[in-house]
Amino acid sequence: MPLDAMSDISDDALLVLFANGDRLAARALTLRLTPRVLNHAYRMLGNAAEAEDVAQEAMLRLWKIAPDWRQGEALVTTWLYRVVANLCTDRLRQARPVTLEATAEPVDPAQGPVARLQGADREKALQQALARLPDRQRQAIVLRHMDDLGNPQIAEIMGISVEAVESLLARGKRALSADLIDRREELGFADE
Amino acid sequence: MSRDQDDIRTLDACFEAARAAPLEPSPELLARVLADADAEYARTAMPPARVQPLPRAGRLGQAIRTLGGWPAMGGLAAATVAGIWIGLSPPEGVQAYLSQPDAAYIVDLPPGVGFDLTEGTL
Repeated sequence: MPLDAMSDISDDALLVLFANGDRLAARALTLRLTPRVLNHAYRMLGNAAEAEDVAQEAMLRLWKIAPDWRQGEALVTTWLYRVVANLCTDRLRQARPVTLEATAEPVDPAQGPVARLQGADREKALQQALARLPDRQRQAIVLRHMDDLGNPQIAEIMGISVEAVESLLARGKRALSADLIDRREELGFADE
Repeated sequence: MSRDQDDIRTLDACFEAARAAPLEPSPELLARVLADADAEYARTAMPPARVQPLPRAGRLGQAIRTLGGWPAMGGLAAATVAGIWIGLSPPEGVQAYLSQPDAAYIVDLPPGVGFDLTEGTL
């Protein structure tokens, strides 16, 4: 089966195909899920190199669980985000406060130079503000506003109620706003 | 515009800027992830050990197998050799027993004594 044809196949069906020896299924899952886990880890940790390590480890755990995966019981992404969250928590506990690294700043090549600079500034400011949030608030905010997940799935990933997710999101957004409001002019909002 | 609306607009613009420039996985990372997948598949999908079919046995082999295989044949051979040896060169005790076969069967019964057997006593 060509790789393109696998775009319509669900994650868990691909995982079962992989467990049965389909290498293209592994490739499709790698291309589909690695960017998601990498970016989630990056937003949680603020460090691209550490995020790469977490992404690789999370994907390795996915390959390991594949033979025992029971189709239809849980979303692969829910399981994977939970693994990434645990790995990030372990790393955050181990050492340092979350900081934004000086290198590997993501850029959007489709933007013009000014917009790109402004976008990069805003992205950087957001990452710095995220780093100052408590871990659980940061996780909820990233899952909701960066990974675009619904509150019920976030609740499942975090092992809490939907109401608790809503509370974390509200508190997190308030804290982010308070952090960013003083930088509005610097980030190009004053003249919009 | 109210302060709350400013806050929302600022935050939404920052989220949008971050979403617009995702961190792209490097080719090396993707290669490592795929290599892990290959290694994990190779580890879990080891082919089952092949069962060697038993070689076809000849008539002698089939007879031996019917009698219980080589261990049973060993016992049978030992019993056969012992029987032949006892027959050709019987030990002293066996010789004495075999040389007086009749004595064992001489019974002197007084008159009136018989071998009456009652059903169910033996």
